[in-house]
Amino acid sequence: MIRFEGITKSYNGRHALRGITTRVDRGEFVFLTGPSGAGKSTFLRLLYRAELPDSGLIVVNGADLAQLRRRDVAEFRRRLGVVFQDFKLLRRRTVAENVTFVLSLLNFPEREQQRRAYLVLKQMGLQHRMHAFPDELSGGEQQRVAIARALVLQPDLILADEPSGNLDPERSHELLELLKTINYQGTTVVVATHDRGLIEAHPARTLFLERGSVVRDAWVTAP
Amino acid sequence: MNRHAWREVKRQLRESGAAGVVAVVLVMVAGTWGGVFWSLHGWVDRELLARGRATTVVAVARGPAEAASLRQALSARYPGLTVVALSPRNVQEELARWFPELATVLLTLDEKNFPPILQADVAPAEESTVAAWLRARPEATLVESSRAWQARLESAVSRILVAGFVLAASLLVGCAVVVLLVVRLLVLAHADEIAIMRLIGAHEGDIRRPYLISGSLLGAAGGAMGAVALAGLQVALHGTLPGLTVANWLLAALPVAGAATAAAGAVIGLASLPKEP
Repeated sequence: MIRFEGITKSYNGRHALRGITTRVDRGEFVFLTGPSGAGKSTFLRLLYRAELPDSGLIVVNGADLAQLRRRDVAEFRRRLGVVFQDFKLLRRRTVAENVTFVLSLLNFPEREQQRRAYLVLKQMGLQHRMHAFPDELSGGEQQRVAIARALVLQPDLILADEPSGNLDPERSHELLELLKTINYQGTTVVVATHDRGLIEAHPARTLFLERGSVVRDAWVTAP
Repeated sequence: MNRHAWREVKRQLRESGAAGVVAVVLVMVAGTWGGVFWSLHGWVDRELLARGRATTVVAVARGPAEAASLRQALSARYPGLTVVALSPRNVQEELARWFPELATVLLTLDEKNFPPILQADVAPAEESTVAAWLRARPEATLVESSRAWQARLESAVSRILVAGFVLAASLLVGCAVVVLLVVRLLVLAHADEIAIMRLIGAHEGDIRRPYLISGSLLGAAGGAMGAVALAGLQVALHGTLPGLTVANWLLAALPVAGAATAAAGAVIGLASLPKEP
């Protein structure tokens, strides 16, 4: 599903990732963890092709990301569900419009868009805020809208960057349970988090990043 | 175009604010101005210059005897011509009719003060040869042709028309520039949103289309308002200038031309969209 081979990425001469080689198989659930500045977000940004590596090969779903044409990049991203650390909600659009945006790009019928938006927002406990604008929501609610948007298309691969960052512990565990359920249905999930407790509560393969390198790749269970 | 895109178009039209209104007004003024000049151009050609219509050559004779001799010679030389001879009395009355304010004075003058005149309607192709022949005759003191003033009028009118069209074109360019700036400002204001739309799978076309459509709608609205103004002007001037008509194709073309101009501006404005890696 995901193949990293010798991936190096630097910003202004400072290495964010150094020669990372790893793979994630279809249907896996993987945590990406490490201290701030370890390269977790860069790892994910490379995966959804917001960045290109300085060197190395990234293959996602059989596609070499460096070789994708501009038009194909959009198609590629539509098959991903990405939960951004800073939510990246469209401020001038309602919650429902944010969630149905990708569906509308794919020309889903209007009724189907509304049905899917309602179901996924209900799953997030936000069905009553469908017509609110992001700025009218709390940080946690915005986070859940971002998650709903990532899930609405039932993608092959979900990438989540600190998805529990703005959620209380109970909601964080609920979210992880939801991601696990989606994963059991065959979707590959990669979650970047620095919340050790969350990882230990939901045992899974974990890649430990430090200063841009994978220092450990192990199955983490509760202590 | 899906529902999201149309909503985006509506939002952009709202956000274009005063600058959008300026663009609409510019297109309207340019359209009306251009339409007025185009219609005037046709009216001047049809009603004033009347190309192909018979030309009149007028010769002032030295006296009644010379006028009779000149008429005879002219009819012999050009048998097909219609020649009208105006006696000094006829000329006096004609002038009094043309200038009613001076009629009292003109009619008190002795008719001997007025020259006899010959007036010949000639085909435009024959005008120069007939006028030259008359000028060479000793009976005539002055020969004038309607062609000369027609040429002067044509030259003056064409200069005014060129100036009018240049101004209309400048206004349209101004409109394209305003739309360009409106789109550029919207793109700058929405830079974050555009980046997000790309990240969640929007194609460049999905992003650009609403800007192009809202820009074109501003131009089309201005063009449509220009067409309405032009039709209104035609109705208002119908009593004064009944021959002045605005072609239907021109009314239909104004919104299209406005939309095309604004779309061109929007395309240039969209060049400021940030590029993806």
